[in-house]
Amino acid sequence: MRMRVVNHPVLGNLPERNRVTIYFNNQPFQAYEGDTIASAMMAEGIKTLRNHEESGNGRGIYCNIGHCFECRVQVGERKVVRACLTPVSEGMDIYSLSVFKKGSESHC
Amino acid sequence: MSDEKTIICRCEEVSLKTINDTVYQYSCSSREVKLRTRAGMGYCGGRTCRHVIDTIVADLNQKVITDDIQLSYRPPVRPITFGALGGVYHENESC
Repeated sequence: MRMRVVNHPVLGNLPERNRVTIYFNNQPFQAYEGDTIASAMMAEGIKTLRNHEESGNGRGIYCNIGHCFECRVQVGERKVVRACLTPVSEGMDIYSLSVFKKGSESHC
Repeated sequence: MSDEKTIICRCEEVSLKTINDTVYQYSCSSREVKLRTRAGMGYCGGRTCRHVIDTIVADLNQKVITDDIQLSYRPPVRPITFGALGGVYHENESC
């Protein structure tokens, strides 16, 4: 079931945009320029962007306007950004934040 | 809101039951509920559930607690990395 709205009753068809490959947890995904990380992942059917630090419950988009930080993901080595606000770029390495393992300090 | 399993504080996953129990046991103000249960201390800085906690606790504590200071928004308004704060490097999406 494709999540991306390709032809919209009011806005018409999606304009042609060039494709971009992004990597989420080392898996390649296709996106278009101008997508945010959150929308690109949702279009690919991935709604769980991170897991809760304590309980490990899956978390994803909540406010989608950069207010609630539910969609925070790690980009590159140690930068944590809001997926709903950050536009995708070619070859972007995205990692989901996960449960704090007790006694492990290697968490960005 | 009657279902006690409802999560009030999304960031810290604090349920209505926890808040109710805390208020019954300690009959405390919303600020003390926050300190005891971490409700309102999450990553979003209490923006989502601050008001809800105040309302719930106010309902439960019929007698108005005189020194009840409202739960407030905590700085920073948006999280910021020490790198950006300390001027080592500065990027716009500094969260």
